[in-house]
Amino acid sequence: MSRKLLIYFLSLMFIPSIFFLLSGFNNKLPVNKNGRLVIHFLNIADGKKIARDSIYQNAFGEAYTVSKLKYYASNVHLDNFREKESYHLIDAFSSDSFSISLPPGRYNNFNFLLGVDSIKNCSGAQSGVLDPLNDMFWTWNNGYVMFKLEGTSAFSTADLHRIEQHVGGYKGAYKTMREINLSFTANPVIISENKFQQLTIQINIDKYWQGVNEIKITALPVLSAMGEQAKKVADNFPGMFSVQHITSQKN
Amino acid sequence: MLIIGAAKDDGYGSYKPTPLKFNIPVGWPKPPTDIFAKNKLTEDGFQLGKKLFYDGRLSKDGQTSCASCHQQFAAFSTYDHDLSHGVNNTFSTRNAPALFNLAWMTAWHWDGGINHIEVQPLSPLTAPNEMGETLDSVLIKIKTDDNYRRMFKAAFGDAAVSSQRMFKALAQFTGSLISANSKYDKVKRGEDTLTQYEQAGYEVFKTNCASCHKEPLFTDNNFHNNGLTLNRFNDNGRQKITLLGCDSLKFKVPSLRNVQLSFPYMHDGRFYALSQVIDHYTNISLTKPGLDTLLKNKIAINNSQKNQLIYFLYTLTDTSFTKNKRYAQ
Repeated sequence: MSRKLLIYFLSLMFIPSIFFLLSGFNNKLPVNKNGRLVIHFLNIADGKKIARDSIYQNAFGEAYTVSKLKYYASNVHLDNFREKESYHLIDAFSSDSFSISLPPGRYNNFNFLLGVDSIKNCSGAQSGVLDPLNDMFWTWNNGYVMFKLEGTSAFSTADLHRIEQHVGGYKGAYKTMREINLSFTANPVIISENKFQQLTIQINIDKYWQGVNEIKITALPVLSAMGEQAKKVADNFPGMFSVQHITSQKN
Repeated sequence: MLIIGAAKDDGYGSYKPTPLKFNIPVGWPKPPTDIFAKNKLTEDGFQLGKKLFYDGRLSKDGQTSCASCHQQFAAFSTYDHDLSHGVNNTFSTRNAPALFNLAWMTAWHWDGGINHIEVQPLSPLTAPNEMGETLDSVLIKIKTDDNYRRMFKAAFGDAAVSSQRMFKALAQFTGSLISANSKYDKVKRGEDTLTQYEQAGYEVFKTNCASCHKEPLFTDNNFHNNGLTLNRFNDNGRQKITLLGCDSLKFKVPSLRNVQLSFPYMHDGRFYALSQVIDHYTNISLTKPGLDTLLKNKIAINNSQKNQLIYFLYTLTDTSFTKNKRYAQ
């Protein structure tokens, strides 16, 4: 065998090994492999999980039902970890959780924005959960409905005794998005490689009606525009959320 | 695998978009925001937007398109109508504004309630007294039409239909409607001259009208209370959007370009003739609460000046725009 031919064969053998090395190297890049955190929203009122046929009573003795409960959770943070392009739409009747990928570690704080940041409110046609198809965008005075609660109550003076709470407004004094900051220092979320963990956040509708401000169905059965009333309602948002539990899941 | 996947024919034609340049007319300011910054202007996107604009299937009754109320021969306003017809024999509560030079606006509609050109169509599409449709239903009609799917692919790279793409395409069409070739423009470019009468009218205009109807767009794109009385719809304009008392009865200043064709005038079309509009301004009660400070000085325009002014306003008619086949169905 000539020397040239030998080199040729050797190099042929070498090519696959380069690929092998490259792929192997790729898999062993010195970054931590992320774990996943499922964030589940437990929607409750009057001590019961929100369900279509349930009847709830608020602090003012007003009985009501809930047929729709949707809200945006965006700009999700766990300590210093910030989810990119972080927009989630929670629907109590169809999708009440989402999951995020984040590096292994101990996390003591969960922060998000209830609603949609002002920039996305005025940046044109959006897609995904921000698509106006989700029926969470005002067409005549543009901006997102941050939080939507619909149902019925005998205490509602509106047509068909309906309750329609569409809380929106993103500008200046009338902005309705609110920072929600939850801590769990005693029982941190521990994320490890390739593992699922679940964080359950409770949202208590009782506190929608009675928080820092009192919202009575009799007085405000329908809220469908930004303004002073919407701002008052939004001030109740932070008090509605609490950490319910943190569980490890297999996988 | 990727290469094979890309080469596979989906039956909706090819994606070779032709870029379009957005040309700012000579002597005009740059638009305050670039409405095409995140919506790359292409011939394919423009053509898709045009098809959507003229398609009656976007409405509940299948017949009411954007163009029903925005007619090209009327500079994309509703010709000779104070209010416009919606589906099911309904009427709108405001006069359909003419559509041109929209890229220079920062807020759309008479009250500025629309914060981005892309989301504007949502309002007429879903309003029960306009096109009366739901967004879901519109998308179903488009998705099941292969012609549309080919055009979505040509414009956006694949045949997937989404509200975002539909709105971006519509914005490419409406945002490209530029009217900048009236006699006035030709005069400014040195290609024509005003008659003595028109020139006299131009002077009347500059003295009395130009602070709100600012050249060269003939609007300051701002909101002013011009002394109109509250109408039967209790329409207080800008206040409904900002909730500020000081914005009561403020409306966006419409451009005076093509004003000869966009009658009737004002947000509710209450004036049919330009002479009525001028009379309104000369007869305003200066003590009217909320009246814009720019109108606090008596506007004195005599009858011959009024005619001169109207002749000047006619020089703002741009028939190369209203007859431009590129904008036609």
